[in-house]
Amino acid sequence: MSHVLEIRGVSSGYGEAIILRDVSLTIAEGEIFALLGKNGMGKSTLLKTALGFLRARSGAIHLLGQDVTGREPYKVARLSLAYSPQEGALFQELTVEENLRLVQPAGRRLQAGIERISEYFPIIRQRLDQKAGTLSGGEQKMLIISRALLVEPHLILIDEISEGLQPSVIDRLADILRRERQRTGVSILLVEQNVTFALSVADRYAILKIGEIAAAGRVTGPETAASVHAHLRI
Amino acid sequence: MFSLVLDIATTASILFSVAAGLLVVLGVLKIVNFAHGAFLVIGAYSALVVTWLGLNPWFAYPVAFFFGAIIGAVIERLVVRPIYNRPLDAILATWGLSIVIGQLITIGFGREIQFVQTPIAGAITMFGETYSQYRLFLVLAAVVVAGGIGALLNATRLGLEARAVIMNEPLAMALGINSDRVRFITFCFGSALASLAGALITPLSSVDPNLGIPWLVNAFMLVLVSSVSLASLATAAVVLGGAQVLVSTFVSPVIGGLTIVVLAALILRLRPEGFSRG
Amino acid sequence: MAKMSVTATGSRFARNRVFWVLGLACVSLAIIGAGPFLFDTYTVNILVRSFLYAATALTVDILWGYTGILTFGQSAFFGIGAYAAALTFTHFGFSTEMALLALVAGVAVSAAVAAIVGWISFWHGASSLYVAIVTLALPIIVVQLLYTGGTFTGSSSGLVGFEAFDLSVEAWFWITGSALVVLTVGGWFLVNSDFGRVLVALRENESRCTYLGINAPRLKILLMVVAAVIAALAGYGYASYTVVVAPEIASFVFGTELVIWVALGGRGTLIGPVLGTVAIDFISAYLSGNLPYVWKLIVGIIFVVVIVALPEGFLPVITRAGRWLSGCFRHAPKIVQSGSVALSLAEPPSTVGEGAGQPAVSVKSLGKRYGSSTILDGVDFTASGSEILSIVGPNGAGKTTLMRCLSSGTERSAGTVFFYGADIGRLPPYSVTALGVGRSFQTTSLFDTLTVAECLRLARFRLQRPAFWRRDQRLVLPPAAMRVVVATALDTQLTTEARHLSHGQKRALELAMVLALEPRVLFLDEPTAGLTKQERTLIGSILVDLTRREALCVLLIEHDLEFVREISTRILVLHQGKVLLDGSVQEVVESEIVRSIYAGHVKPETGETRL
Repeated sequence: MSHVLEIRGVSSGYGEAIILRDVSLTIAEGEIFALLGKNGMGKSTLLKTALGFLRARSGAIHLLGQDVTGREPYKVARLSLAYSPQEGALFQELTVEENLRLVQPAGRRLQAGIERISEYFPIIRQRLDQKAGTLSGGEQKMLIISRALLVEPHLILIDEISEGLQPSVIDRLADILRRERQRTGVSILLVEQNVTFALSVADRYAILKIGEIAAAGRVTGPETAASVHAHLRI
Repeated sequence: MFSLVLDIATTASILFSVAAGLLVVLGVLKIVNFAHGAFLVIGAYSALVVTWLGLNPWFAYPVAFFFGAIIGAVIERLVVRPIYNRPLDAILATWGLSIVIGQLITIGFGREIQFVQTPIAGAITMFGETYSQYRLFLVLAAVVVAGGIGALLNATRLGLEARAVIMNEPLAMALGINSDRVRFITFCFGSALASLAGALITPLSSVDPNLGIPWLVNAFMLVLVSSVSLASLATAAVVLGGAQVLVSTFVSPVIGGLTIVVLAALILRLRPEGFSRG
Repeated sequence: MAKMSVTATGSRFARNRVFWVLGLACVSLAIIGAGPFLFDTYTVNILVRSFLYAATALTVDILWGYTGILTFGQSAFFGIGAYAAALTFTHFGFSTEMALLALVAGVAVSAAVAAIVGWISFWHGASSLYVAIVTLALPIIVVQLLYTGGTFTGSSSGLVGFEAFDLSVEAWFWITGSALVVLTVGGWFLVNSDFGRVLVALRENESRCTYLGINAPRLKILLMVVAAVIAALAGYGYASYTVVVAPEIASFVFGTELVIWVALGGRGTLIGPVLGTVAIDFISAYLSGNLPYVWKLIVGIIFVVVIVALPEGFLPVITRAGRWLSGCFRHAPKIVQSGSVALSLAEPPSTVGEGAGQPAVSVKSLGKRYGSSTILDGVDFTASGSEILSIVGPNGAGKTTLMRCLSSGTERSAGTVFFYGADIGRLPPYSVTALGVGRSFQTTSLFDTLTVAECLRLARFRLQRPAFWRRDQRLVLPPAAMRVVVATALDTQLTTEARHLSHGQKRALELAMVLALEPRVLFLDEPTAGLTKQERTLIGSILVDLTRREALCVLLIEHDLEFVREISTRILVLHQGKVLLDGSVQEVVESEIVRSIYAGHVKPETGETRL
């Protein structure tokens, strides 16, 4: 079985600070993986290291079968994957259409993609010429997901998308992610603080605590949620 | 009165054309190209070469653009790229380059003041006043330049990527945009624009190795006051250029030459965003 | 007063350096004395000029090399000094009174212009690009004014042939040469003093300096004025010697040449720029007859290459090569000690400070907007001494923004902030620090090349002015800072440069520096980020100790909720820019609302109806 993402023994941090210590995880094809943990525990750092924004001090990262350790971010980004960062994920001054066009050049594929996405989010087609910054918070998150789904990648990395969304919207989002995985076999790495949402879509999970994986396993049922909550208790 | 209005319009147009290339480079590369003046000179001497070869003076513009782009490419690779994260040193390095380029041109062409052939000669009479046709053409040229930059930014893929890099470079990189390549192309374009501006302004006076200097500080100030917005640059050009014309006409031409610098410094001190909507 | 003496080896070294410098100075003076007998008249003539340029280049090095202020404008002040002399002597003749008048006029005008330029350039938040361009514009303006002067200033041809001091070339050589030596030695004492460390700190991290209570704009204006005066004096000498002044000496071309000489000689080395200027100017004088443009071209190319590939300049490369060579011939000891430091305890401040009856921190309706987004809205809370208030909340809740708005009066968009009854109004960070507030930063923003002792001394700036011409061997710290320094073993690292410390020690140093300010209110932004479990426990116990013994009020932003639970007396929960809950540790931990935002059931904003 080939892994879409393979992180082995990776340590990284900012300047002198070591945020991640010897972290390993793998994501298989068509798998939805939830990376859980409280703020400041290193989840975003892990994503940034995987993408090449941060240099891994040790260990190796393999993406879609290729060794991408130390590769420049834009080269990593071009390997059939989509990344939705936690902050600054959209170009506020560019229109919806331009934000989409940045990942899918103008043409038939872009049009077909927009059509497809608009079935999930009619808003997209309606607001193509509006500046992304004028959309509401929830609509912006929809746009971010749309952009990720547009290119039909093999792996989607999503950093804290559920923040600030209404429960009903979160449910829809979970549904859409599951459907896309069904349709295309895309793998998804979901970094989340919202445990309920994460566990409602994920097949497997891991919990990051002070830069190390404190717990991991398969999502089997309600008992998983209880065990995870126990780890994350305030 | 009418010629005063025209003076303001043409001065603003010239300032805009000269500063446009600087603005584009500042936006994408986040550095101020202190070699900008040297590119003005390159453009001027390109026009001179066209005159010497006896070609149609209209060729001066594309020739200047071409040389500006080529030399800009070399400079970006060799000098600008290695010091990308040292902005103050980028100022010094590009300044040093302007000295080098200036000296090379002096050695190659000599120090004497020379003249290019202007593509449009003569004056036009309107409302009882005569005005240089070439200066009026410069207004048109500025509009074309603005339109050209706008078209490139808004209607091409490269322009879209450039705008993305201007707004949020890490995000652009995360989406697969090769920001190195965008910076390179932008620098070439900015240099080409500067060179074109040099060719545009030489028929007004003359060609000598130091012609870039009076424009330099004015262009810097305009760009600082405009933040990164073509619209603000146009506004700044009209407001500050207009002030310069008024002061030159009613006070003294020499003091007039200082108006832009002094006004811009004060504006920035009191309102750091300058003319932009920031 | 308890005394703790911690010394590092090598106290003799500091004294040795002084002897070396003075020795070198004497040798230089001797060479200068012998100069006119060693060199021919043409050379002596050139060198007088070079010495005056070198003195001006020295000011550029102090401003740019040490303090980080890139300036192309020192030539303007040189020109002002020169024209003060030329104008006075041309229009009023020459006499002792006139000479004095010209001197005073030149100095006064330069100082005034420098103060104005400083006020324009050095405001809280100005970019160094702006400063560079303003200093580029200054000589242009001066030159233009000279052009408009008509026959009064001589316009573009300048003034020549006025009567001036009746001194021989040799006398001028001795005067300018020894003046240069004296200036260089004085400069050396300045940059190696404690004040010199402040200059370096400004260059490395000016923002951090302002939060340590250092009024950076005022310091920079002061520096600019002093540099202008020295340049004006050099210009005065130039005019009196050459008896020819033309606008070119005030031009930005000369101004940029000064920067080039400093860059080539070695910025921030003092000797480098002096030697570099003399060498290059000297060579230029000889070559400019034969191949003026080619020489300038070569200098230009070397300059560009140096900036790109060798930014420190030539002198450091030469000295490194020299040291390597001498290391090959004998095994010199590798470690260079920079002197000993003795720690001693400060008198504890009287516990009853101003505004004793008021709450330590009082925040009302604090708001922060950025463009169209609201980051903080209607934040209200108070905090008192001996309290540890932890501010928690998901990312994007506005915690760091809140801390920024509390530590600087210029940040918030609405609301009021009072510390012990004092309103922070629109005060810049250094003034807020003076009210008794200390803030530490999320990302360790220390000063790389400063040692631990120097960093701590920097933090004492407001309470203890640094010496201008020597290194104080004693470092006085308040008990709180002393405790941190001893508990984290920083007292054994006093002479280690900050960049060589481990992450944990850097965080400790950051904390000690903030405590050295003797604050009554302490803001800590994620103090335990990146620390090991042991280090966290240590920091936690130190903080608890501080609030008990010193009645400090501590505000803490933290993600490590166990840490928060262990040491806080109160917790403030921020969510989407608003205060969600403000209560005791017990209340917050048991609160359903807090549980749910951390588990992810977010309360929706009102108005979200679509999709």
